[in-house]
Amino acid sequence: MASVTHSSARRSRFRISKRVLPYVLSLPALLVCIGILIPFFTAVIYSFQRYRLSQPWARQFNWGDNYLNFFTDPGFWNTLKISLLYAGVTVTLELLLGLGIALLLQRRSTVNNFISIMLLLPLMTAPALAALMWKLMTNPGFGILSYLASLIGLENFRWASSPDTALLTVVLVDIWVYTPFIMILLLAGLRSLPTQPFEAAALDGVPRSFVFFRITLPMLTPYILTATLFRLLDSIQQFDIIYAMTQGGPGDTLTVFQVEAYLNFFQSTNVGRSAALLIILWAITYILSNIFIKNWLRLRERARGEA
Amino acid sequence: MYEKEKDLIGAFLRGEVDRRGLLKGLGAAGLTAGTAGTLFNMMSTQALAADFDWKAHSGKSLKLLLNKHPYADAMIANLQAFKDLTGIEVTYDVFPEDVYFDKVTAALSSGSSEYDAFMTGAYMTWTYGPAGWITDLNEWIKDPSKTNPQYGWDDFLPGVKASCAWNGQPGGALGSEDAKQWCIPWGYEQNNLSYNQEMFEKAGASVPKNLDELVATAAKLNKDVGGGVYGIGVRGSRSWATIHPGFLSGYANFGQKDLNVSEDGKLSAAMNTAESKSFHAKWVQMIQESGPKDWSTYTWYQVGTDLGAGASAMIYDADILGYFMNGGDNKMAGKLAYAPFAANPEAKAPTPNIWIWSLAMSNFAKDKDATWYFLQWASGLEHAIFGATKMDFVNPVRASVWKDEIFRERLNKSYPGYVEMHDVSAPGAKIHFTAQPLFFDLTTEWAATLQKMVAKEVPVDEGLDRLAESINRQLAEAGLG
Amino acid sequence: METTSPVERLLRGVALTLVVVFFMFPIVWIFLMSFQTNETILRIPPSVVFSPTLENYAALITGKLQTASGTLDIAFMRNLGNSVLLSVASVAVALLLGVPAAYAFARHKFKGSEDIAFTLLSFRFAPPLLVLLPLTQYFQWLGLSNTYFGLIWIYQLICLPLILWIVRGYFEDISADVEYAYRIAGHSWFSTFRKIALPLAGPGIAAAGLLAFIFAWNNFVFALVLASADKQPVTVGALAFVTASGIQYGQIAAAIVLSITPTLALALYAQRYLVEGLSLGAVKG
Repeated sequence: MASVTHSSARRSRFRISKRVLPYVLSLPALLVCIGILIPFFTAVIYSFQRYRLSQPWARQFNWGDNYLNFFTDPGFWNTLKISLLYAGVTVTLELLLGLGIALLLQRRSTVNNFISIMLLLPLMTAPALAALMWKLMTNPGFGILSYLASLIGLENFRWASSPDTALLTVVLVDIWVYTPFIMILLLAGLRSLPTQPFEAAALDGVPRSFVFFRITLPMLTPYILTATLFRLLDSIQQFDIIYAMTQGGPGDTLTVFQVEAYLNFFQSTNVGRSAALLIILWAITYILSNIFIKNWLRLRERARGEA
Repeated sequence: MYEKEKDLIGAFLRGEVDRRGLLKGLGAAGLTAGTAGTLFNMMSTQALAADFDWKAHSGKSLKLLLNKHPYADAMIANLQAFKDLTGIEVTYDVFPEDVYFDKVTAALSSGSSEYDAFMTGAYMTWTYGPAGWITDLNEWIKDPSKTNPQYGWDDFLPGVKASCAWNGQPGGALGSEDAKQWCIPWGYEQNNLSYNQEMFEKAGASVPKNLDELVATAAKLNKDVGGGVYGIGVRGSRSWATIHPGFLSGYANFGQKDLNVSEDGKLSAAMNTAESKSFHAKWVQMIQESGPKDWSTYTWYQVGTDLGAGASAMIYDADILGYFMNGGDNKMAGKLAYAPFAANPEAKAPTPNIWIWSLAMSNFAKDKDATWYFLQWASGLEHAIFGATKMDFVNPVRASVWKDEIFRERLNKSYPGYVEMHDVSAPGAKIHFTAQPLFFDLTTEWAATLQKMVAKEVPVDEGLDRLAESINRQLAEAGLG
Repeated sequence: METTSPVERLLRGVALTLVVVFFMFPIVWIFLMSFQTNETILRIPPSVVFSPTLENYAALITGKLQTASGTLDIAFMRNLGNSVLLSVASVAVALLLGVPAAYAFARHKFKGSEDIAFTLLSFRFAPPLLVLLPLTQYFQWLGLSNTYFGLIWIYQLICLPLILWIVRGYFEDISADVEYAYRIAGHSWFSTFRKIALPLAGPGIAAAGLLAFIFAWNNFVFALVLASADKQPVTVGALAFVTASGIQYGQIAAAIVLSITPTLALALYAQRYLVEGLSLGAVKG
């Protein structure tokens, strides 16, 4: 009798705490971040205003004008195109390269571990400083890379200064800085895969390409999604590398969202337009990450079901 | 102790002896330079203090926002003199030039009262002034109770002083009657030629006298100097900074303008005239033929580095950039020379556009009177002489510093042609832009258009027509056109 | 792996060499530059022959820079200290807040759990510039501008989402059975979390912490806009060598080397955790 009471009391306390507990655990994190929402909404309000710091008397709500103007502004469409292109190209290349390197380093060994840490060095270099160094290395006179390029016959390769190769050059720097990020996430993923399916496949003599595409890749997908998501969010917002290497030029070759928004705010002090640009950028990232998260959760559910 | 020397210094400060006589006298008295300096500072402090209550704000404290720049270094080196003179405590924040104006904009737009005064360029005051972030300094300059009678506001070079004054009307003439003095000029840059004498000799080139000669000389240097050296360095990045140095100086010399201002104060683009198009065509050709290969990424730093390291034969840029490259650990230190440059063969004298590092007072300053004490000291003659003769506080904005024998001699000795270049072009030196709120939009787009022309993405004529069209549209949108 | 042919091993070796050369070459070049002055760095064509100097490091460490016009004070070591303080404190706070939250999302499907988790992630993709504009004003009103506290708070934008999402995946991988058994044995929730869940997720937490540390370390826009010169991190300190009288490439290179060193040491120390720990979302059955 006594023991029954005891256990039911325990269970009920258990239940209450189980309902409240997750909120208790997650709310502090949320509360700390909620402060960010206030400036976020202030910025939304700015984006609906005609608001230039240099013309304070003309400040007023113009509602959707900042946004509507984008439709007829070729500069905006260029910005949208370049940003998406930049993010698409960098993330795709970094994913392929990162996966390749992770596969090369998959086997656990001291050398492989050491190499994987050393490959993180570019990630540890602040992008603004890395870009400064790349600018020097690609200088036609003093630059070691320009010199090496001239040795293999590329005497007039103009790196970031020509509209034809500017995108290529900043993409190259982006790859240099951020591939290690994807590499390390995927390497961790590869090494944590269960061994049984691979052993079984090896016993049955299944071709390696089949194993890779039918076993490794599907099992790796959750990692690929996470790595891609974080990289995509950063890449579409790239500023440091592009601004330090080219300031958005030559011409309008690299006027991505953040460069435009930065120039609009800090130089032209056109707060309304700057905020509207950033809100659109935010909306794009919101949609992209929503898609990714949905897929990620679905994959995890399926994986758990199979397990 | 040192009574005789003090008398001598006193005589100098009263204007009875010139600086050369003073230093000669002090040297004869066996004083080391250090002691002479200390004495001089002490006596100057007394002289400054003679008819003006410098101690009125003693015990207060100020905070400055400074750019990492030789001008700021010179001020910091002399700051103790100000503290001793006024009893005002001064602290400062120095930020790298790369991010300096971002910091200023962030601090001012948030209404922060942290900084009382800060360094700025005149172009930036076209935003800061109308935004209500900085104070019209006329109120203090013209108040005898707040300004030392010895301050010498008339001593400032007229074109430079006027360039820091604007009435706030889009298109309003700089330095007009109703203009507000948004900032005090501190040190300034004219845009002229700095060139490598050795390379000129090697290529048998002479200093060009107009734009056509400049294009031809640059091409000759590009061809004849060898060793990968290119002919002429000018800025090319996608920024206002590409338009304002050599480019606008030459452009203005042909009487060309960025904007037209109509009778009723409306603005319209003025860069698609026939003369402008021919100027642009020559400029673009010069860069294509003999500019740096990666011109479109060139900022102040690359233009300077190349000249200093011997990668370029000359630059058409800020005179002090050439000045800096002639010293320090630069490979070409001691090999550079300077020349004034009038792009238009029919022009009588150069008309350099100028950059002015100035001091402005924050509208959110905690104590504006005390802040003004700092501003008038920092822009005063004593500090200007100190900075110009002992540090790199060049170019001075005061006429009397340019008359100072010791200063002229110092420049003539190590910077051939510099003084003459300054004297020739100073009368025409001023800001040649139209003051208006879209300055940065206009110049950034102008630079992007130049880049497209140099990359042959658009012909010069068409590019300028499109630029003018776009500028007019933006002016209309902002209610200015 | 036993089936690899010699040809394949060779190809793998070549590929790995290319990878190492591509990623390490600029680092090596920066390292070499840090022992040179501008005079040898700015040569046409560039060359690897130079007599090394410790001048750049000496200037950075002593804070005295000799220039043509006298000695200048530089605050690089202070910047380095600020970076350490800001990154360590931010990551610590983010771990303290993020790990329990990650546990909650992993173990308990509760009403709104996905929404809260997504909201936390969304802070990561708000462009910093967007919140910075109004934030300067709010910080002014709250008295948070120019405080380490305010900066550490805002650094949570960088650290918290990263930690939360990586650690969450890790918790989800650990079978709940062990914890359940421990609970049944009469232990409290907290002791289960501390004694069972945390140690099992240790590598994941360490790895997420390290990645967050790197991103916090590389950020400088928050401190630039929100704090005064004495609280600036190492990136701003290094940019101070981009001066009107020339870019001091040697000092910037030395600054990069010095600023990488603490992170590299941390990564080498936590090597095993880094790779094992990031195996988020693994299906361990």
